[in-house]
Amino acid sequence: MSKKASLRFSILRGFVAILISLFIASILIFISAEGGSFGEKLSSTGEALVYLIVRPILNGKGAFSVKSLTDILACMIPTIFTGLATCVMFSANQFNLGAEGGIMLGAFVSALVAIYVPMGTGIHMVVAVLAGAVSVAVMMLIPGILKAKLDVSEMVCSLMLNYVVMYAIKFMMNTYFADKTKGQVQSLPFEKTALVPQLINNGSKLTWGFILALIFVALTALFMYRTRWGYAIRMIGINRDFAKYSGMKVAAIIVASQVIGGVLAGLGGGVEMLGRNEFYSWSALPGYGWTGITIACIAGNNPILVPLAAFFIAYLDKGCNLMATYCGIPAQLIDIIQAVIFLFFAAEQFLSGYRQKLVVRSAQQELREKEGQK
Amino acid sequence: MAEYNSEYAVEMRHISKVYPNGVAANQDVDLCVRKGEIHALMGENGAGKSTLMKMLFGLEQPTSGEIIVNGEKVNLTSPTVAIAHGIGMVHQHFMLVPSLTVAENMVLGMVPKKNGVLIDYAKAVEITKEYSEKFNLEVDPDAKVMDIPVGMKQKVEILKALVRGAKILILDEPTAVLTTQETSELFKELVNLKKQGYTIIFISHKLNEIMQITDRLSVLRGGKFMGVRETKDVTPQEISRLMVGRDVVLTVEKDQAKPTDTVLSVRDLEYVNEYGKTMVNKLSFDVRKGEILGIAGVEGNGQKELVDILFQFATAGGGSVTVNGENILGLNQAQIREKGVALIPEDRMLYGIAGDASIEENLISDRCGKKELNSGLMFNMKKIHQMSKQLIEDYIILCKSAEQKVGMLSGGNIQKVVVAREFSSNPQLIIADQPTRGIDVGATEFIRKKLVELSRSGIAVLLISADLNEVMELSDSLIVMHGGRIAGYFEDASKLDDEMMGEYMLGLKRQSEEEIRRVCHE
Ligand SMILES: Nc1ncnc2c1ncn2[C@@H]1O[C@H](COP(=O)(O)OP(=O)(O)OP(=O)(O)O)[C@@H](O)[C@H]1O
Ligand SMILES: [Mg+2]
Repeated sequence: MSKKASLRFSILRGFVAILISLFIASILIFISAEGGSFGEKLSSTGEALVYLIVRPILNGKGAFSVKSLTDILACMIPTIFTGLATCVMFSANQFNLGAEGGIMLGAFVSALVAIYVPMGTGIHMVVAVLAGAVSVAVMMLIPGILKAKLDVSEMVCSLMLNYVVMYAIKFMMNTYFADKTKGQVQSLPFEKTALVPQLINNGSKLTWGFILALIFVALTALFMYRTRWGYAIRMIGINRDFAKYSGMKVAAIIVASQVIGGVLAGLGGGVEMLGRNEFYSWSALPGYGWTGITIACIAGNNPILVPLAAFFIAYLDKGCNLMATYCGIPAQLIDIIQAVIFLFFAAEQFLSGYRQKLVVRSAQQELREKEGQK
Repeated sequence: MAEYNSEYAVEMRHISKVYPNGVAANQDVDLCVRKGEIHALMGENGAGKSTLMKMLFGLEQPTSGEIIVNGEKVNLTSPTVAIAHGIGMVHQHFMLVPSLTVAENMVLGMVPKKNGVLIDYAKAVEITKEYSEKFNLEVDPDAKVMDIPVGMKQKVEILKALVRGAKILILDEPTAVLTTQETSELFKELVNLKKQGYTIIFISHKLNEIMQITDRLSVLRGGKFMGVRETKDVTPQEISRLMVGRDVVLTVEKDQAKPTDTVLSVRDLEYVNEYGKTMVNKLSFDVRKGEILGIAGVEGNGQKELVDILFQFATAGGGSVTVNGENILGLNQAQIREKGVALIPEDRMLYGIAGDASIEENLISDRCGKKELNSGLMFNMKKIHQMSKQLIEDYIILCKSAEQKVGMLSGGNIQKVVVAREFSSNPQLIIADQPTRGIDVGATEFIRKKLVELSRSGIAVLLISADLNEVMELSDSLIVMHGGRIAGYFEDASKLDDEMMGEYMLGLKRQSEEEIRRVCHE
């Protein structure tokens, strides 16, 4: 099958997957919908679907709204970074789940630099974000080296590390960095010089971080597919013995893949913190790392597809939230609906029978053409 | 069901198979196998033999066509269904779990239970022993599969199929990994099985084997069925014409070797395995520039361990190994490769390739950091494409494009990918462990020629092969290993015959220390 036909099939497949999952979602919504009679239920189901599907990009009056769209794009900033981080680590077959703690640590360290290390405009932001990235890189050395040297499971290690990081930050906030004049635990305000500038000033917090995220998508893709290091990471992920036999420095690259993942997650943390907030107040893991894992899975560890996957999830998230807020759909059901949509989207065998038919047809045609030439 | 001919154990009618990537591996193939015969399936690498057999074993589904087993039309949706119809398959690549013991592998999926819950390991060992004796295939039930030589792995695979009650046995290149003795032993058993009414489908690239034990043969070429013949009525020329469309000569022309400086020098090498058995015992030999030194021997006499040590997959217990005078013991693979050592590994699927990566990515694995393939920080994709295109052309790797995944190539073509990479790595020393394993006659001819060519251009070649003909024909000089030691050194391999070699290989004869010492050219 030609590349074009392949692409056409993928798009069709995505479309059908969404349609089917929406259909299942409607049934679930219908069952739990308010109203006694069948007609009432039906109309409230319809209403809920509207909230899920189109409302995310509309405003209160039901017209298309740039603000609604930029809200969604703004939500993608941290998850694109964690998605990329996870792509790199999973490509090396390193199931490091530390992007979650990483993004929190990155945010925290950037915040400290933004508060306590005065510098000029612009440079301050860059240094703050970089400091966040470096700190997470160091954090990822722990699961990386333990894995490479002692064969400790990076999954368990990074998972535990997330909580170590979270509680360490909570402790430090409570004891050292809290602004005692405030009722809740929050830091002193960031210096203005350290804030990530807004891209569009409409209140949706869409910052230049979005552009930076897209730049890093391109950089990560180039790194993974066009450099010897990215290549080595992928080969190790496919067959570690092969990589070793070929003369690659397996242990070093295993560590490096996790450090690079750390850098990406750390950047995401810094950009998010200094773009969306004026002071540091996260007291729990923000969840962006978990979302990043979902994104990497949907994107098949391909960095290029990360923004699409991130958009999909951000859109779905918002739709579900609206549905929960305005239509009285229980939150648990929202989770189920979200899961159903993922499942169909991620199911590899879905529609493979139809694909096979297309393949056979085009192969037969090719053969006939060849015969014809003879 | 009387509408089908019950003379046949297997009838595959008008079978076509198109893989999801668009490769039409079989086109309108007919295969009819009589009850109680040994039927050969022949064809070049990528002709579609394994594909056809995978469909008979329920691993792949035909795109069109029908399969009739013992006169009954069947729909083989999975191996479980195929096994229920009495079909067993020994795959081209091993399907064993390396970390489990032989006995555990043997009963995988049909585990005997104690009190209905606990795994009855003793029973598994008993079953293994029983079948091992019944079919005269010797295996060690308690050894872990990763520790046993390939020859034994092959026997485990065959026993596994038999334990599952197979009456129709598919053997996809079972002899590719066996020594001559092991092969003739296996053949005895196959004939025995045939007498007991078993039907056997046998895939091999070795003509002499086909002529020796099969009753009939079917030939595929480029996915198409070329015909079926009675083995006794057919000449090797006719077969090769059916398969390739031309005559193939397998004897390699080679001129006298003119060896010069020593490249590889092994002295007093020792290795004791984890069970305390001495596998390599004070081994010393040299390989010089411009010569091919062959190592013959029954598998399990230290050859595997020797190769593992040379490439640092195992740590020597003592002794020294130098390449061009520099020590390589204790170096990592990157450093060993830097010294100009290339290795064609015995098990291509384990080390040789990354199956899910493209052909191109597999071809550059050892040189991805080299200047000529990079420009600055980035890969020079143009050069990489160019190089891989050239290698695919030179080594006649049958594929759709360089982007195709290696795991989807036919077995022989996977081997060619490994050979192409290692031969083109600009080596000083090539360690070729079973270099032509699973490769069809045409490509074998090509690889052997290439190996001779490389050695004549001044490269040292250490050749290890289970195929006695191959070592004798290709090597300039030859050592026979037995019990981890050299049993004999023969300066001129062309003056040897099978029988004499056999005596040394079985340890019945041994040269004096002085004679053996001649292999160290000091
Ligand atoms: N899983 C797969 N996906 C796509 N193509 C495949 C797959 N397996 C095999 N092929 C292709 O089908 C063709 C036939 O392969 P097959 O393995 O049947 O050859 P073969 O006759 O067994 O060759 P060999 O002697 O090398 O083992 C080859 O061109 C191969 O690239
Ligand atoms: Mg095959």
